[in-house]
Amino acid sequence: MTEKTINLEINGRAYQSREGKTILEAAREAGIQIPTLCHSDALEDVGACRLCVVEITHDDWKGWKGLVTACLYPVEEGLEVTTDNAEVQRARKTVLDLLLARCPTSDVIRRLAAEYGVTQTSYKPSDLKTTCILCGLCVRVCEAKGASAIGTAGRGIQKRIAIPFKQPPPDCIGCASCAHICPTNTIKFEDKDGVRKIWGHTFEMVRCTACGQPIMPEVQMEFEAKRSGLSPEYFTICPDCSQAKTVETLGKAFDLESAETRSSS
Amino acid sequence: MRLSNTKSLNELAKTIRTEHKKVQTAILVCAGTGCLANGSLEVAKSLEKTIKRRKLDVKLHLAVKKTGCHGFCEKGPLVVIQPGEIFYKGVTPADVKEIVERTLLKGEIVERLLYKDPATKQRIEKYSSIPFYSKQQRIALRNIGKIVPGDIEDYIAHDGYQALAKVLDGMAPGDVIESITTSGLRGRGGGGFPTGRKWRTCANAKSNGDGDDTIRYVLCNADEGDPGAFMDRSICEGDPHAVIEGMIIGAYAVGAHEGYIYVRDEYPLAVQHLGLALNQARQRGLLGEDILGSGFSYDIHIARGGGAFVCGESSALMKSVAGEVGEPRAKYVHSVIRGLHDCPTVLNNVETWANVPWILLNGADAFAALGTPKSTGTKAFSLVGKVKNTGLVEVPMGITLREIIYDIGGGIIRDRPFKGVQTGGPSGGCLPESKLDLPVDFDSLTEVGSMMGSGGMIVMDDRTCMVDVARYFLKFLVDESCGKCVPCREGVYQLWQILEDVCHGEGRPGDLEKIEELSKVIVDASLCALGKSAPNPVLSTIKYFREEYEAHISAHKCQAGVCKDLFTFVISEEACTGCGACLRACPVDCITGAKKKLHTIEIDKCTRCGACRNVCRFDAVEVV
Amino acid sequence: MEKTLFITPSRCTACRTCELACSFKHSVNGKPGIPRIRAFLLGEGKNQVITCFQCDDAACVRVCPVEALHRNEETGAIEVDGLRCIGCGLCSIACPFGHVRHTAQSEIAVKCDLCAGEPACAAFCPTKTLEYRP
Repeated sequence: MTEKTINLEINGRAYQSREGKTILEAAREAGIQIPTLCHSDALEDVGACRLCVVEITHDDWKGWKGLVTACLYPVEEGLEVTTDNAEVQRARKTVLDLLLARCPTSDVIRRLAAEYGVTQTSYKPSDLKTTCILCGLCVRVCEAKGASAIGTAGRGIQKRIAIPFKQPPPDCIGCASCAHICPTNTIKFEDKDGVRKIWGHTFEMVRCTACGQPIMPEVQMEFEAKRSGLSPEYFTICPDCSQAKTVETLGKAFDLESAETRSSS
Repeated sequence: MRLSNTKSLNELAKTIRTEHKKVQTAILVCAGTGCLANGSLEVAKSLEKTIKRRKLDVKLHLAVKKTGCHGFCEKGPLVVIQPGEIFYKGVTPADVKEIVERTLLKGEIVERLLYKDPATKQRIEKYSSIPFYSKQQRIALRNIGKIVPGDIEDYIAHDGYQALAKVLDGMAPGDVIESITTSGLRGRGGGGFPTGRKWRTCANAKSNGDGDDTIRYVLCNADEGDPGAFMDRSICEGDPHAVIEGMIIGAYAVGAHEGYIYVRDEYPLAVQHLGLALNQARQRGLLGEDILGSGFSYDIHIARGGGAFVCGESSALMKSVAGEVGEPRAKYVHSVIRGLHDCPTVLNNVETWANVPWILLNGADAFAALGTPKSTGTKAFSLVGKVKNTGLVEVPMGITLREIIYDIGGGIIRDRPFKGVQTGGPSGGCLPESKLDLPVDFDSLTEVGSMMGSGGMIVMDDRTCMVDVARYFLKFLVDESCGKCVPCREGVYQLWQILEDVCHGEGRPGDLEKIEELSKVIVDASLCALGKSAPNPVLSTIKYFREEYEAHISAHKCQAGVCKDLFTFVISEEACTGCGACLRACPVDCITGAKKKLHTIEIDKCTRCGACRNVCRFDAVEVV
Repeated sequence: MEKTLFITPSRCTACRTCELACSFKHSVNGKPGIPRIRAFLLGEGKNQVITCFQCDDAACVRVCPVEALHRNEETGAIEVDGLRCIGCGLCSIACPFGHVRHTAQSEIAVKCDLCAGEPACAAFCPTKTLEYRP
């Protein structure tokens, strides 16, 4: 399959990209920064946060221009992209202003909003007491992992990340990928004394067979073994001990080899 | 039972028509949802019973049995007697005896049941002479009120499936697309996209390289969600076969073999009648495998909406059909290319589909001759609100708002001053009196800040508060937003909050500018049309009724007398006749006054419900 | 010409220059990176230096939930796509040899990528313990 070259313009300069790439990918390759919140290279884009909006136009469009999300819009021949004009700035500023109203206590949002000149929200602050911006990354990564343990409930302003029947989700494997990927550090988990607490679950963790360090929840280990086809032993020894074991094994092999060499000389 | 070719269809049609000719008198009782709610079913039953008792040879037609709206909903229950087109309004079971004795047996008219034109004060006998009907041109609604929707034979007798026969007999798929394109038909669901172009793009889209086995879908959007709109409901209830026939023709044109009608579950009669019609069509070989022996196969399933306005949006609809959460996606790649299950998909509105058989049967040019060059054909409107003749109408495009509201609608109830008309539902805007001579079509209303939309038309008088109207539509969208994108979920919510404050006397200087600023970003940056058009009601009302907003914000005053925190009622000394109607109407007994003497309202107890003002025939209750 | 990183542990003095070179080669924003190669001082003639074996059917590639680990066809090395990596740590745990590392939670996985064809460790090794040759 030939990858067609696409010629486009970003902020007045000519660049080349390939068919199938998005404006965000093309801009990154060109070294141009576009802010994102709900985007992750690991997952499919949804264009939910609208922070990555850019203005596009084209010679053939009779002067029409508009804002689109860079993470989703595919590059096309002759596209003219502006990543940083007044309309774009205003949209990003308003998005952050609105998010600040929703999550006034989020450090991440406060920092981002401040970059766009918003230190205090212009709107009515929410009494939801949340730092969740509903980017959906947690749900998507859980799906990518193959667990699909969490989802969303409600729509509109009532929308929230939810677990079935408000109980510890039965499909959760305790991998904490959701917590890692959350851009506002909203999802919490606690590892203590060989036990992981997350989403109301208390997961026993498997410990390294060599040093006893907790590695991952047992449920997760079973899941990963099944999914990857690797035996559970792959997951029951921590990286440090794996390395030490490798050094030891190699050492024995070299001893054997040099012993053979000595004996044969 | 099964029709194996078009010849047998024609023969069946002929047979049924011959049978129908034997019927001398037919009584069409409107059983649309509106008249049903008003008791038309009891009227029908009473007619049946009385006729049976008198042993009369009259075939009782229950026009559109449990659905099928004559349109003049204000005057229901409606009964039309053929031949003679005698139109009776407001019929109750108590009237049945007289109708049978006098009209059916003696050919006499029961005067008191006739419609009285408020302008001429004359009673009108014939259906087609009534201005409400005479100014209409019914194409999409052609059969509604005439046929029994649960009876495929009635549909066939009225040229049903003739268009399909014509298509399958001698037209190539490309010819069908050409015909629809020439007709100028544009989507009737609000978007107004040229239907022919949509079909052509879908027909040309291939999902796997140049393979010939591309799977395509042809869908119907029956998720009518605009408050006040019931055009699609009436078509689905009253003439479901028209939609089905249209879809089969469309599927043939683009090369699809499977389809869905996505109908909102809040329309139980529509769901029922569509299901019935689909089964009947299948039984007759008009749907499913090898339609009419042509070799072309296409079948339709029903998918029911779960109560989300946003699922009327095409990409959300397709997700819902696929069993996923109905949320729109960015449509940089259109659903005609990648739609349901990522396959090329045609989605059209109910009314659009209902037009298709007519176009194929009567010719694209006949359709294009109606309406205006850029907006050909007709459009169904649900005319509601403070208008005298509330109901469902179909008129040629290009007719003015004034003609619809006054000539057909009969003007404002109680002849109160006209204030505004809202078209296009939550995506549309309000237009003032100065815009009443604008033609109603796809483009003229959009140019002035509103839009024709799917056909909902809400008429408002001087007792409507335009700020409250905007607030109402915003609240609707707050509830219906899918919540995926920030500008809509958070932005429309904040817009609503500002308007709530304004309507409760907490408006602040700078609010209008704030609304306009925020609206701009919502329009520019929202993911789908729900968000992008959400600010329309508030922006259009600010544009045409800015003083009303300013009065709310600066003076904390609602002159229309709607926003309860911003006015009080006072009875005018000059106008009050002491009739006591207000006293009797007041639900909290806060009005006192002797007969023929000035009445007074005790302001502290008054809940400002407006009952007194509504009942007063002398306009004596004033807003201060 | 396909090259391989050859390690002759008998020449290793455990000077750890390879670790230093690797760390600097992979520094981010001026901060030295975690070395992807490690030398062990175990006694005369017993020193070892190990790094990723770029396994044919690598466990790390198998377990990654978002396909962030790919083989670079030119160098033969398995590389981490830093932008795709979600920091779940599965690859570190799964690698039977302890060659893939993370530091704290949420940081991306790091491993030997043969420096895209010019391994710094081999370039700086003073005793030719590490050689990158056909």
